[in-house]
Amino acid sequence: MKQILLSFFILAVSALPAGAVSLGKNLPPIHGFFEADYGYKFKHDKTKRDSYNLLEQRLQLKTRYFPKWFLADWNSEVFFRGDFIVDEYYAGKTKFDLREFYTQFSPTSSVDVKIGRQVFTWGTGDYLFINDVFPKDYVSFFIGRDDEYLKAPSDGARISFYNKIANADLVIIPVFKPNTIPKGDRLSFLDTFEGGIAGRNSERQLIEPPTQFNNTQYALRLYRTFGSYEAALYYYRGFYEMPRGYKDEAHHQLFYPRLDVYGGSLRGPVLGGIGNFEAGYYNSRNDPNGDNRLIENSSFKVMAGYEKDLGHDFRVGVQYFFEQILDYEDYKRALIPQDFYWDEYRHVVTLRLTKLLWNQTLHLSFFAFYSPSDEDGYIRPMVSYDVNDHLTATVGANLMWGKSDITEFGQFEQNSNIYFRIRYSF
Amino acid sequence: MRKSLVILAGAIFLFAAVSSAAQKLTVDQIVDKANKVAYYEGDDGIAEVNMVITDSQGRKRIRKFTILRKDTTDGGEQKFYVYFYKPEDVRDMVYMVWKHLGRDDDRWLYLPALDLVRRIAATDKRSSFVGSHFVYEDVSGRGIDEDTHELVGEENGCYKVKNVPKSKKNVEFAYYYVWIKKDNFMPIKAEYYDSRGKKYRLIEALKVEDIQGHPTITKMKATNLDSGGNTVISYDRVQYDINLTDDIFTERYLRRPPRQWIKK
Repeated sequence: MKQILLSFFILAVSALPAGAVSLGKNLPPIHGFFEADYGYKFKHDKTKRDSYNLLEQRLQLKTRYFPKWFLADWNSEVFFRGDFIVDEYYAGKTKFDLREFYTQFSPTSSVDVKIGRQVFTWGTGDYLFINDVFPKDYVSFFIGRDDEYLKAPSDGARISFYNKIANADLVIIPVFKPNTIPKGDRLSFLDTFEGGIAGRNSERQLIEPPTQFNNTQYALRLYRTFGSYEAALYYYRGFYEMPRGYKDEAHHQLFYPRLDVYGGSLRGPVLGGIGNFEAGYYNSRNDPNGDNRLIENSSFKVMAGYEKDLGHDFRVGVQYFFEQILDYEDYKRALIPQDFYWDEYRHVVTLRLTKLLWNQTLHLSFFAFYSPSDEDGYIRPMVSYDVNDHLTATVGANLMWGKSDITEFGQFEQNSNIYFRIRYSF
Repeated sequence: MRKSLVILAGAIFLFAAVSSAAQKLTVDQIVDKANKVAYYEGDDGIAEVNMVITDSQGRKRIRKFTILRKDTTDGGEQKFYVYFYKPEDVRDMVYMVWKHLGRDDDRWLYLPALDLVRRIAATDKRSSFVGSHFVYEDVSGRGIDEDTHELVGEENGCYKVKNVPKSKKNVEFAYYYVWIKKDNFMPIKAEYYDSRGKKYRLIEALKVEDIQGHPTITKMKATNLDSGGNTVISYDRVQYDINLTDDIFTERYLRRPPRQWIKK
């Protein structure tokens, strides 16, 4: 099957004209890309494959359509973007991943509505998130898929209101979608039930909240500009996107506790560059007093960042991130001796370097996370070259390390890889 | 996602038109008129832009985008909105600039696949625009107060003006000449010289058309005389005074391009 699909991909790609695929005069044009990815892994662990954690081919198609029969007076649009994947990591399993499929329209001149599968993003961080509580795909991130796969789509609606005082985005997500996180088959991770790093031996079960009316998630952003400065306030009512609570320890069950987030951000020119500041209070609603050892405590998170253009297509960005577990004394008191426990404070700094060469066809990029409190880090170097207007070749690496197995990045050390990608866009 | 866009230099515009012909003008008056003719014609405008970048080995790359421009004040602040069609890996991305005088411009990039509105730090106005042989300042204008100007002669119906940067910081040239047409104040050629007095860069208008009564440069070329590479820009479907509203140049329209102007 995989050979058939692969040949189909190659055939489809080689048959493509220089521009878009046109199926006829009245049909909307189709664009997208075909790519092949391979990620070589340095260390053996208990995952499914010893020597690699990424080997796949992917065809992405996207198109948009302006229907004349559906809300045409409201300037309606239908958009589709989907990936057809042959995943050699799972012995050539084929998969269709619907990335986006939504309609949007404007019922009045000051309201936009977008309904369907879509990606939600807001906030000011660079690979760091406080008020962006929408689903992320950390498996894609750690194995070196393109950045666009870090954000996972949600099924929901976004209603945007615009006026001179402040704009508002209201997001409603009726179907819970958690972060995609390592679960042992492709990436090893810290499984507290196993007492350490686990691979396919993990028996962990993640219990998602059922789709029902009172589990609907709401997110609100109020924002406006003051001259060159952008200010925003955020509110979220829903669930942790990570399984931060133990449901049934005997059966290795974790769940996604209820969460409220209140936050704000600022972004604008500072000292010849762009500065950003963002903070948020995470209210763990299933553990309001912080004395339940099975559920994550409320916390406070804050970050500040700065990016500067140093000239000659070279730019530098730095960020500092801090989080504190609240009611820490209550948390500590509630622990029992065999529990893993987390430090009260966590500090993370990041560095991003970007340099373009050869008429901006060669891109050198370096991103590093380092946590002095956890004594761990994660480095993402990347080089990509635009061979021509359609073909891009990329080589990069994901290098995680840590003094301890139980820290954020330290637990992923054995997943470190170097990856290669070739992409043809049309 | 294409990293080059992060370094996108800026918004291109060369809308030129007739101003009233003048008698004895000072060089500063000539330069001021040329600046307005080249970058501020009409209150706003739209153009479809095609760019062919040819490197020193003859390899060609194509850039295609639509650009919207609105002047906040004539000869002063401006806003630009750039929607990309080509290359394919940046299709549907939007780049927005609020151009300021005397301080850094504000720049944003919208990445639709991530639904991400990114703010871009961009201080270096002499860096390449989308990998072409044009730099940011060629296309959105160099502040006329940043150089001293000297009228050095008249050639073929043009004023020849020598421009020397007041600060050598952040510029790669020692001086440059601009040829400004005497009848309509359109700048039609520029030559850049390095500190050894060697000419290394040339910009020239290739085609001028009359649009809504405004003579407009619709084709121009930048050549790197050292490497031999060049970029040709063509402007199609140019329109002036199309009544763009200010809200086009906000986050709302980054996320949802104005369909009236952007044919996706």
